[in-house]
Amino acid sequence: MKIANIILKDLKIILSDKKALAIMILMPVILTTILSFALKGSFADSDNAVIERVNIAVVKKYDEKQDQANFEAALNSSFLSSGMDERDINDLLESSDEITDEIFFDDFLDSEKVSEFISYRIEEQDQALKLLKSDEISAVVILPEKFIYDMKINFLTPLRNKINIEVLTHTDKSISGQIVKSLMDAYANAMSTVIIGKNVVIETAMANGAGSDSLSGMYELMEGMSSTMKSIEVNMDDVVLDGRKPVSSADYYAAGMMTMFILFAAGHGGRMLLEEKDNQTYQRMVVAGADKFEILAGKAITIFIIAIIQTVIMIVYSHFALKVQWGDRIAVAMISISAAAAVAGLGSFVGALTYRAGNYKMANIFESAIVQGMALLGGSFFPLDVMPEFMQRLGFLSLNGVALKAYLKVISGGNAKEILGYVSALTVMGAVFAILAVMILTGRRNGYAEHNKTKSIKA
Amino acid sequence: MLRVENLYKSFNNVKAVEGVSFEVSRGKVFGLLGPNGAGKSTTISVISTLLEPDSGDVFLEGKSILSNPGIIRKNLGVVPQDIALYPTLSGYENLSFWGSVYGLRGAELKKRIAEVSDVIGLNGRLKDRVDKYSGGMKRRINIGAALLHKPEILIMDEPTVGIDPQSRNHILDTALELNRQGMTIIYTSHYMEEVEYLCNEICIMDEGKIIASGNKQELIDLVKEKTQINIKLNTMNDSVLSALKEIKGVYEARLNEDMIVLFVSGSTALTAEIIAKITENGWLIESIDVKKPNLEAVFLHLTGKALRD
Repeated sequence: MKIANIILKDLKIILSDKKALAIMILMPVILTTILSFALKGSFADSDNAVIERVNIAVVKKYDEKQDQANFEAALNSSFLSSGMDERDINDLLESSDEITDEIFFDDFLDSEKVSEFISYRIEEQDQALKLLKSDEISAVVILPEKFIYDMKINFLTPLRNKINIEVLTHTDKSISGQIVKSLMDAYANAMSTVIIGKNVVIETAMANGAGSDSLSGMYELMEGMSSTMKSIEVNMDDVVLDGRKPVSSADYYAAGMMTMFILFAAGHGGRMLLEEKDNQTYQRMVVAGADKFEILAGKAITIFIIAIIQTVIMIVYSHFALKVQWGDRIAVAMISISAAAAVAGLGSFVGALTYRAGNYKMANIFESAIVQGMALLGGSFFPLDVMPEFMQRLGFLSLNGVALKAYLKVISGGNAKEILGYVSALTVMGAVFAILAVMILTGRRNGYAEHNKTKSIKA
Repeated sequence: MLRVENLYKSFNNVKAVEGVSFEVSRGKVFGLLGPNGAGKSTTISVISTLLEPDSGDVFLEGKSILSNPGIIRKNLGVVPQDIALYPTLSGYENLSFWGSVYGLRGAELKKRIAEVSDVIGLNGRLKDRVDKYSGGMKRRINIGAALLHKPEILIMDEPTVGIDPQSRNHILDTALELNRQGMTIIYTSHYMEEVEYLCNEICIMDEGKIIASGNKQELIDLVKEKTQINIKLNTMNDSVLSALKEIKGVYEARLNEDMIVLFVSGSTALTAEIIAKITENGWLIESIDVKKPNLEAVFLHLTGKALRD
C-alpha cells in the first residue's frame, strides 16, 4: 500500500507542475499538429484509406518501330532462328506484334488498381525533369532505349536482356517517390516471372525435341501476360510501403512525437528520486518504514502511468483532430504498454544514476542530449526511410525508434502478431534498465561506511 | 527507554561523532545542545535509522535498532531540520500522504489529520499549498507530519531555525504539550534558551563529543561559582582589566570587543566592590549587566567559546 500512496502522491505532484505538463502533454500535441501540416507534402496522404494519386511523368527513350525492325533482323540472324522453319519464324514475328508498350501503359499503369495510386503523363526527358524540379510531379520513370526490343527478346527468345527502368524522385516527396519505385520493382518482378516461365517452357520443349511446339507454350504465356500485369495490381497493397496503407504526415508525427515525448516522462521521473532526497522527504519516508526499492518502484510506476496518460491523450487527440487511424486496438495497446514500461525502466535507471551522483547533471544530460539523440535516431523528427541504411539500423538502439516502428506498422495495417518482436524488445529494454537501476541503488559509495563494524541497516 | 552507546561516525575521514553515549528516559524532554557541526544531527540520523554508524549501537527498550530498525521506526516521529514536505501539495495532502505512509487509512486518517492540525494550529489553512505558507507555518506542518501515527518518541531536530518569535513560541509550547501527553521528546538545538526552557535532561555536544550531561541544574552547578558581569566603561584597556582582576573573587576578566567580561564567584557583594573599584579609579560606567550562570556559561566554561561561534 505504501507504493500506491507514493504513486498517488507523485502523480499529484506532477499534475500540479504546469511546466512539466506543458512539456509532456501540450508540446507533443502542438508539435504534431504543426509538423503534420507543414510536412504533409513529404508523405503519402491517407484519409480513411483513400490515397492521393501520385503524379509521375514517363519518358520514352525507345523508338518502337526501330525496335520492331531490330527484332526482325535479330530473328532472321542465324543464331536465333537456328532450328526453326519459316513458319515458326513467321509465327514469332506475328507474336512480336503483340509485344508493345501497351503492356506497360495499358495493362500496368492504366490498370484499375495502379491508376488509383498513379497518374501519369508522357513527356520528353527535359520537360519531365523540369516538372519534377518544379514539384508538379513526384517522380520521373524513364523507359530505356531498346525497351521494346529487349521485351520482345526476353519474351520470345531463349535470351534475356537486362531492362533498366530508371526512376527519378523528388527529394521533398520521398514517400511518393518510394511508392513509384516500389511499383516499378513490382513491374520488373512480374516481368521476370513471365520470362522465367518462358525459359522453362523453351528448355523443356527443346529437351524433349518438341522444337516449334514450344512456341505454342509461349503463346499461352503471352496470353497470361495481361493477367500477370493485373496480378501486380492485385498486389498493390504489398508493393506500397511494404504492403501497407501509406502513412500520412499526421500519422507519422502523432506516433513520432508521442514516442519522443514519453521519454521526457523518463527524464522527469529521473529527477524525482534525488529531489526527494534533497527535500529530505526520501529520508522521512525511510524513517516511516518505506523501503528504498518501494520508493524506486513507486517512481517507476508513476513514470509508467504518466507515459500511458501521454499516449492516451495523443492517440485521442490525433484521432479526432488529425484523423489519424491508429489501427488494430490490441496492437496499439500492446505497444503503448510495452513502450511505457520501457520508459519506466529507463526513468528508474536515470533516477538511480542521478541519485547516486547526488546532482542533476545526469538528468539534465538525459533530457537535453540523450532524448534529442534518441528522437533523431529513432526517426521522431525525420522519417528514417529517407536516411542512410546505417542510420535506419541505429534507430533500433533507441527506445522511441522501436516504438515508432511498431506504431507505424500498425497504422499501416499491421496486427498484434506482427509487432510482437517490437513489443518484446521494448519489454526487455524496460526490464534491463530496471535491473540496472536496482543494481546502482544497491551499490555503495566509497567511504560511506568503510569503518562499519555493525550489522547493516535495512534502509 | 532509549540508550545510545558509544557511537562513532566519520564522513570522508572527518569525525562527525566520537564515542557518543547517553540515555533518554521515558516521558522526558531530552535536549542535545551544541553549536552547528557539533554532531547533533548525525547522532539523530543514527537514532532515526537513516545513518549507519561506523561503530556503536542504539537500543530501544534493550533491543538493538541496528539489528532491527523496524522496532524504532513505528514508534518514532522525526521532525527534520529541513522542511521535508511537498511544497506543491496542500497541507492536507501532505498530512494525508505521511499518515498513509505510516499505515493510517480512511476515517482514522481523517481523524488524526484533524487532531494534529489542532495541535499545530493550522486548522483552516490545510487546503492551501505548502509553498504558500509562511516559514513558521511550514515548520508547524513539518512537525504535524511526524505526529500523525502517535509516536512514543518524537525527535525534533532544530525545529525553530529561521522563524519568527511567535511561531517559535508556538512550537516550544507544542513540544511541551506533547510531552505532557506522555510523548518522549529528543530536542536538538543550538539555542540555549530553548533547551533550558524545554528539557529535563540535557547533553551538551561539541566537535562530535558529549562534553557534559545532566539536568539543567546539574549542568549549571558546573559553573555556579561563575556569575558573569558585563561592564562597559568609558575607558577600556589592559590596565582596567588588571585592576579588576585584583579584586578577590574575580576569577577571570577578558575584553570582548567593547565589553569587559568578568566571571566572579557570588555576585551581590562583589558587584558593589567592583563598582567601588571603578569609581575609585575615576572611570565612568556606561552599562553593567549581571548574568546568572546558564547553559551558555556552561558551554563557555567547558569549551572556551560561545555556543553560537
